[in-house]
Amino acid sequence: MNFALKVGVSALAMAVASSAAYADDAFWKEAAKPYQDVTLRGVTESTPPSNYIREVLAPEFEELTGIRVDIETTSWDQMYDKAIKDMEAGTGIYDMVFIEQDIVYSYLARDFLTDTTKLLADNPDLKAPTYSEDNFTTFANYFRGENGDLYGVPMEAFIKIYLYRTDLFNDAEIKAAFKEQTGRELVPATTHAEYAEIAQFFTKWGEDHDMDLWGTTAQAHTGHPASWYEFFETIAPTFGVYNWGIDADNNFAASVANGGEMNSDEAKEAMKWWLSMRDIAPPESNASTWTEVGTTFGAGRVAQGLVYGENAGWIAADETKSLVVGNVGVALPPLQDGVMEEVEGGTGYIGYYDGGAFGIPSTSKSQEAAMLFLQYIGQDEVQPDWAVAAPRVTNKTTYDAPKVKAMNEELGGYYDLLRDKGYLFAGAPAYPFHAQVREATAPILYQILTGDLGPDEGLDQMAAKAEAELTDLGYRK
Amino acid sequence: MQSNKLGWILLAPTLVILFFFGVLPFLYVVFVSFHQWNPFAASPEMIFNGAENFRRIVFDDAFLNSLGVTVMFVIFAVLSELVIGYLLAQAFMKEFPGKSIFRTIHTLPLIMAPIIVGSVWKLMTTPSIGIIPHYLDEWFGITMNIGTSAPAAFMTIVIMDIWHWTPLVTLTLIAALVSLPRDPFEQAQIDGANKAQTFWHITLPMITPALVATVFIRLMDALRTVDEVWMLTGGGPGSSTRFLGVHIFKEVFPKTNYGYGSTISVIVLYLTIVVCWLLYVSMLAPRKNRKG
Repeated sequence: MNFALKVGVSALAMAVASSAAYADDAFWKEAAKPYQDVTLRGVTESTPPSNYIREVLAPEFEELTGIRVDIETTSWDQMYDKAIKDMEAGTGIYDMVFIEQDIVYSYLARDFLTDTTKLLADNPDLKAPTYSEDNFTTFANYFRGENGDLYGVPMEAFIKIYLYRTDLFNDAEIKAAFKEQTGRELVPATTHAEYAEIAQFFTKWGEDHDMDLWGTTAQAHTGHPASWYEFFETIAPTFGVYNWGIDADNNFAASVANGGEMNSDEAKEAMKWWLSMRDIAPPESNASTWTEVGTTFGAGRVAQGLVYGENAGWIAADETKSLVVGNVGVALPPLQDGVMEEVEGGTGYIGYYDGGAFGIPSTSKSQEAAMLFLQYIGQDEVQPDWAVAAPRVTNKTTYDAPKVKAMNEELGGYYDLLRDKGYLFAGAPAYPFHAQVREATAPILYQILTGDLGPDEGLDQMAAKAEAELTDLGYRK
Repeated sequence: MQSNKLGWILLAPTLVILFFFGVLPFLYVVFVSFHQWNPFAASPEMIFNGAENFRRIVFDDAFLNSLGVTVMFVIFAVLSELVIGYLLAQAFMKEFPGKSIFRTIHTLPLIMAPIIVGSVWKLMTTPSIGIIPHYLDEWFGITMNIGTSAPAAFMTIVIMDIWHWTPLVTLTLIAALVSLPRDPFEQAQIDGANKAQTFWHITLPMITPALVATVFIRLMDALRTVDEVWMLTGGGPGSSTRFLGVHIFKEVFPKTNYGYGSTISVIVLYLTIVVCWLLYVSMLAPRKNRKG
């Protein structure tokens, strides 16, 4: 291609790009005209993806459209509390609420959410040229109703992965010591036995070398739901116990006696393994939720751990927060024999595909304006920066963006793992009673964690309690 | 008559506000307490179930455990605050170098929001990170982990509450002590009364109304403690610090069991009134009788 041709092609490309951008800008300004006096209010959890919406996307949208957007980022509990109270009472304070992947089924059961697919179909003037449901990854399917329509625009999606310290795993002295002690190479574990061996090795190594180093993380708070989720959504599936051990097709049975798996041998084995790992994790593990697990890893206090992907970004790349920047590798969680084959065969999953969407409450008084905002954050165009700021991917094209590819290197291939192996993970089961069953059984789990109850007896009690709660709620007949 | 009418007119706005924001919500909670209502149940409607919730509460281990933990907390925390608060108030009645600075520092916790207090104490007590377990280990060889030890978690909350609320008791009692007349004390001195006799027979009876008011305030606060505990332990380890306030919160959110949660709230309110009444009778009634 000669120089003149190159210049011509470049000029044409620039003209097309600028006119497309202008056309897009024109759409937003025109579509937003009727809503200039509207202030949209959203509530979400204070997480890296949500903070990006509050600090970057909302101001951008406001500047482009003139529609004011107030995003309230708060604690996980408060986020639910505020949103549910508002929707239950029908006060219409919020125009957008964060729908976590598991609570969506409860919200749908109560008709709390607006059908965004229908809203756009009924108001074609609102439809942004850059927005399409086809842009989303399959994670969006968790936010579809029985009619197949989308009830929330995905805003974060990540898997809970196995992070390990590459600087420790590649250290010649450590590798030699591990080989001498165990007879095998120090590589990321693929089974629970290997994981435990590595964890025990590093905890001992930390002790012997007077280092603040332990072999594993544990999200084992003794009074917070984080530990419940750690067991039922992270640990139990790797032992082949899926959907919390509750069989929805069998009258919501939880106990083995009734056909459930909450107190199965596999569940009990999983619990014992988890407790054994908790016992050699850093002392703060008994007070750790997902946040503290991320902090523990970022502080360089563990050699390996199971960490929510939303924290992987800052752990691996943010030098202001993390002491292990550039030294983080990612892998799939360790699995019991046969689980991968089972999952590949279409049964179960190996871990939790977490995330959420922004939905419009049925009670919102500004649904059209809110839909504009949701489309804005759902465009391919805004995704790459968002994915770099917080490692979440909701749109298919995000993986191909150069800055995301560069970040992928820093994160030890996290985005590749998400793209290529994401299908092995799954969101929460489609139950409308997540919080209710969790809260009913959590006190028993806490007793197991404190040692007041043995794992076998505790899981038996949890299964019975789950069934009793489901009976009380009217789901189990 | 005319001044009475004017009084009612001036009071009317307050009464209207009280009705809508005090009486009405209370009546609604009482109404809900007689219903089975969980919006996320298979039948999300509110169903009248008579006194079933009240019957259930009597046999509810989780509620009884919360009640026990709360009563223990109230006894330990409020009594300690009274004793320490009184001693500090007496100390502040005397002049000593740096008194004003010390009094300011002593009052600082009082102006902190409970949620901040909980956060700060969580930071200070988290194993590996917190300064309290660190120095307990370094100086005394004591391992403290409120995530595993129920007594440690409970005592930490009691100490946190004492740290937070003792200044309130101190300030109230300073105000009471300052306002006491000097004559009875001088008379007692002339009569040769020792410090203990002066305290039991003069000081204590005279500051009893202030003391009772302070106990009521602290008692009611302690019975509905939520935020600090929520931040520090979340009710754990296990259910060892699941105070009534935390229990109600967990029952209503996230279990969304509005009916039963309302019942517990009503019972707690009733218990608070009963305890306050018993205290009032036991502390003030004898005094009135003596006067009579």
